[in-house]
Parts: sequence; C-alpha cells; structure tokens
Amino acid sequence: MSTIDVKVAAIEQVTTLVKHFTFVKEDGSVLPAFSGGSHVVISLSIGGRVHRNPYSLMGSPEDTSAYHISVRRQERSRGGSVYMHDNVTVGMQFKITYPVNLFSLAKKARKHILIAGGIGITPFMSQIADLERLGADYELHYAFRAPEHGAFAEKLNKTCGNRLHCYIDSVGERLDLSVLLGNQPLGTHVYVCGPNAMVVSVLEVARNFGWPENHVHIEQFLAPPIGEPFKIQLARSNKEIQVPADMSMLEAIEAAGVEADFLCRGGACGRCELQVLETDGALLHHDHFLTDAEKASCKKIMPCVSRAKCERLLLDI
Amino acid sequence: MERGYWIRSKPVYTSLVWHEKATSHLVLTQDDGGMALLKLFQLKHPKQAINVLYANNPSSKVNYAKTLEKVVPEGLQIFNTEQEVLCAFNDVLPTMFMGLRLYVAGSESFIWSVSECAKAHGIEDADIMKELTGTLARTVYCVHCKAITHDITTNIGKCCGCGRMLFVRDHFSRRLGAYMGLMVDAESPGVLPEIEEIYP
Repeated sequence: MSTIDVKVAAIEQVTTLVKHFTFVKEDGSVLPAFSGGSHVVISLSIGGRVHRNPYSLMGSPEDTSAYHISVRRQERSRGGSVYMHDNVTVGMQFKITYPVNLFSLAKKARKHILIAGGIGITPFMSQIADLERLGADYELHYAFRAPEHGAFAEKLNKTCGNRLHCYIDSVGERLDLSVLLGNQPLGTHVYVCGPNAMVVSVLEVARNFGWPENHVHIEQFLAPPIGEPFKIQLARSNKEIQVPADMSMLEAIEAAGVEADFLCRGGACGRCELQVLETDGALLHHDHFLTDAEKASCKKIMPCVSRAKCERLLLDI
Repeated sequence: MERGYWIRSKPVYTSLVWHEKATSHLVLTQDDGGMALLKLFQLKHPKQAINVLYANNPSSKVNYAKTLEKVVPEGLQIFNTEQEVLCAFNDVLPTMFMGLRLYVAGSESFIWSVSECAKAHGIEDADIMKELTGTLARTVYCVHCKAITHDITTNIGKCCGCGRMLFVRDHFSRRLGAYMGLMVDAESPGVLPEIEEIYP
C-alpha cells in the first residue's frame, strides 16, 4: 500500500484526554486532497511492533497544507493512543496512508443531522467545513461527558452558531433521539459517530421511525479487541502463525511478512475480508461489515478486528 | 437471450406490501394499479396514517375506483388524470416527514414520474416500493435525436422525433424514466429484423 511521509508540525493538548496533532509533508509540498469524513491510517512502531491506527482528518478539506487529527487517550487499550500522547513529539516522522472516505456526506440530501459522542466529533469537523462551503442545511448534535471534555465546542460554536446543539452529561443534558428523528423533513440524512451505545440507539430509533437504511450513516472504528491467543494457517503463503492475545489477525499476518489488503482496520469497510477455507473451532466476529448470515456461515472473516477460538483456521491468503 | 444476462440499470419491480416500520404511508396508483392497491389492502393494515392517491381511468374495463372507496378505510383521493395525482403529490410532499413510506403501482412511465417528483424532495428511488401493473409498454429515448417516444410495445419501434427505427434496449435511465433506443438498421438501411410485440 502506498504511503505518504509526514512529520509532526504541531501538538496541542485540547482537553486532559485529547491531543490534536498537525502533520505536514516532509518536503513541504501539499498533501493529497480529501473530502469531509475521510480518515488516514498511521503506522506507529511501538516496542518493535507496528501498530496501524485509523484517525479521522479534522481539518478543512480546502486546506491541504496540513492534515489534522485528534487522539483521545484510551488507557485500557493496546497502546496506540497512549503512545501518541506520551511519546510523539514535534518533528517526528510517520508514514500514513492516502485518505479514504467511508463516511461521506450524501450529496443529494436536503438536510443533514450530525450526531457526535465525545471524540466521535472528529469526522464531523471536516464534514462541517464542506457543509458550510456548500451552504447546506445541517444540525450538529454533540454530546460529551462534562464541560471540560467538550473538546471542540468553542471552536464549533464559532463556525456553526445556532446549528450546534451541545448535550453535557454531567449537568444532566440528554439528547432525545425520538424527538430529534421523529420530525425531520423528507430527504434528511443522519450521521452518527460515537460510542457503540449511541450508534446502536440511532440505528434503532431511525429504523423504528421508518427511515430508509440509506439515509442513516455510521462511522465506527473498532480497536482490535484483546483476546485469547490462537493459531492460523495461511493457505497461499503456506505459513502457520500464532496470533498473540494483544495482536489482531491482520497484524499477525503482516508481522509474518505476508502482504494483506486493508483500508480502515476497524471492522467497517470490508476491504481486508478473507475467505475461511477450514476451521475446527469458533469464529469470533467483531466487525460491522459482514451480515449476520455471513457471520453465521463461517466462510468469511475480517482479520482487522475478528478473532477465533481454534487450533486450525485455514485462510485463503 | 443468454441465461443470467442482466443489465444492471433495468429496474426491478416487486409486489406492494406494507412497511412495518413507518410514521405514515402514502400510496400512489394509476389505472390498473388499482388491483395492486386492492391486494395491498388485503394485507393487515398498518397502524400509522395512510393516504392513497388514485388516478382513475374511466375507459378501463374494471371500475377500481368504486371498489377502492369501499375498501380503503381512510385518506383515499380519486383523480381523473395522472397529472392531477402528481400535482397532489407535489403539494403534499413538503408537509411530510422522514418515516413517510412511499408506494407506487401503475405503468412504468407513471412509476418514474412519481420517482422524479420524489427526487426533488430528497427521496431516492430505492426508497420507493414499486409495482408494475397493466402493461410492459416502454418509454424509449432515442440516442440519435434525443426524442422520447412513449408506449412502445415492440422490440423495435419508430422514433417520434427523427423517424429512425430504434432497437429497444434494457438500458434504463432513472432520470428520464426511459429505455435506450438505437437505430437498428444503421449499417444496412431498410433491412429490419422481425418486429415483434414483446412489451404488451
């Protein structure tokens, strides 16, 4: 996969848990163009192991002199965000993928309802730049835990004015999805990025009100879960490899020197899908891509987030 | 035609059934679409509000309007022309909310006229349930003169704009609501394959 060489131009502590990183090209040239909602995957070398984490681009798509991402510190995770917070300094060099958009705005929508929970605000930052430029009708509903965690509320207030609605959990403010989705004009699209419970609620409320599926857009990158170690066999490369507890199947495949396709690395896009040729155990599907029927068929697996409980799992790669 | 051959733009029509999840329902039908409407009301009625716009054809063999008045419990409006149905539809759309489910039954040209109105309000054609009734007659777009000829029932039809004999393809434009037609005898003028009625 072709990558772009960038270096850290600036780091800003936005809240106690969120840091904002600015990347520029090492040779000072402009970065590739992107659309609102795009993300890049950053390669981090941590303790001799390569982590590849997806982050939404949050700058304006009109400005390609730099890419902006924000990272929330996740203590109980595999270490990518902690490394970004504690070890990354201005001037450090990284390889990132070209931007990919799995959360693009619906061009024909008459109105856009954006719903963000916590750090889920990031993909909306670039979308809002697009919506403002297009003069589109939109509302941003931004829920966060406490006033000090509303990372971008102030900045958004300047851009969005009365289109911004904040819900601060600590003072008892709640977003009522039934009210919000219950009386929107025809041609409205809803977008949600945030914690799983929020995404699930939006999907459920929209479905119950009879919103067509193609009017509901979600962005949810999962971090690969930590699990039990297991063994996999790669048919085409003729290798048997161990997947450690804190490594994803995709990372283990890459670490074994086998090139695998990927885009989001978060169970959303379906690019890394592998065919399961044989298995003697259970597949533990964690992705949002495969349908329930496909998951039950045990013929496909998303190695970026899914795991298995088995001795033998023969994959077509 | 080879088995398994399929032009992806060719629309797929189904039978109308009520959506279970909705905030309201709006059904647009025309002429023989009356039968699809009667079948729809044979099913368990949804709890939410229902509105029905029907374009009656007085010269039709079956008087669906009379039966519909008995069967449709609420929200039935009967019109004399398709155009009146489309006008009523245009008037009601701005007052509707997400969760409105749309159903349409009738000729292919009626179905895509409805879809075109809906599109102006941000409703995609995939969001509309469609049943084709009465006739398979095709609207055909001439790729040479760009004229649109209605009600072609044969594999080859004469363009109303330039008079060329057009082979009617399965390539369908949702925007125009028409199939692609291209000159069938361009290479050997006057030599035409047999003309058969295949879209009665």
